Amino acid sequence: MIARGLREAALLAALALVPALVSGAVQLQWKPSKTAATRMEWRKEEPLQEGEVRMATVQMWGDKVLWVDARSRQKYEAEHAPDAVLLNEDVWETQVAEFLNEWEPEYAVVIYCDGATCDASHAVRKRLTEELQITNVYVLKGGWAAWQGR
Amino acid sequence: MPFLRVTLALLTCLPAIAGAELRWEQPIQDFQRSPEDKYVEARFAFKNVGSSPVTIRRTRSSCGCTTAKLAKQTYVPGESGEIVAKFNFGSRTGPQRKTITVFTEGKEAPDVVLDLRVDVQQPFVVSPGLVFWRIGDEPVAKLIQLTSANGRKVRVKSVTSTNPRVQAKLQTAEEGERYTVLVTPAATDRKETAELRVETDYPADAPRTYTIYARIK
Repeated sequence: MIARGLREAALLAALALVPALVSGAVQLQWKPSKTAATRMEWRKEEPLQEGEVRMATVQMWGDKVLWVDARSRQKYEAEHAPDAVLLNEDVWETQVAEFLNEWEPEYAVVIYCDGATCDASHAVRKRLTEELQITNVYVLKGGWAAWQGR
Repeated sequence: MPFLRVTLALLTCLPAIAGAELRWEQPIQDFQRSPEDKYVEARFAFKNVGSSPVTIRRTRSSCGCTTAKLAKQTYVPGESGEIVAKFNFGSRTGPQRKTITVFTEGKEAPDVVLDLRVDVQQPFVVSPGLVFWRIGDEPVAKLIQLTSANGRKVRVKSVTSTNPRVQAKLQTAEEGERYTVLVTPAATDRKETAELRVETDYPADAPRTYTIYARIK
């Protein structure tokens, strides 16, 4: 009788562990350890979307690059890549002429915004390629963080 | 084993019962607007369908052009509320997608990502918006097409250049529908910049001027 009770208690505890683990993972957002995450990142680099380029590739292009900062004016004024031109959709009308003054046809234009999830750099790339029909326009994968971590 | 069965069922259901939950009526909303509308406001309604209060701790917009307003933070079970998202177009045209990410208390991951899709329909298309010559190129004329779009009739009143060394000549193909502009530099022996102002009659209350950029590089 005692043995049966113990068996049932052990079984109950084991069964309770399953929903508890599921609930824990959902509620507490368990993530893999940093080392494991880094290992995974190394194994599988996030794929590039259309028009994106990695920092390592841009570095190979040397100085024939015009950097475009698509973040807010406030962030641009606080810090930006050397010689980067401010251009985003909020300041398009006032800034596009300045961008064109700096632009040279043989330059690659590389745009960055806040990070990997911002869409401002893709929006600027779309307008430069579609409205102004400029070629060689790229979005820096990882945005400003990638530039800082170069 | 009935005790075991009941306990098992309870253990499986407990996390769901205890969870607070917002149900969103229309988390994806589509609009069609013209640039003259200047902004769109979308109301994302929700209801707390869980068994405990939900606190919306913050919202994050994908763009500085979009704001999200909430009347209050905490909603008891059964209570409804809404997030009012306002997207200011600025100079944006064409299909736009802005998101509002909503974070609730007790969850690190976002509760929901609200999706605001607006087609800002341009009444008039300038293509291309830039013409350029390299120093030493033949100073040949370059052609720009001006076309009314999305069912509007836009009449071009004039095209003027800010630089006398870069001339612009307007040609009407079909009044209110299609025009061409021929842009010609006097010479290409030095760097030049010019802006060509295209004055239209649309919209009637605040007619818009478009800019074509010309450069000698």
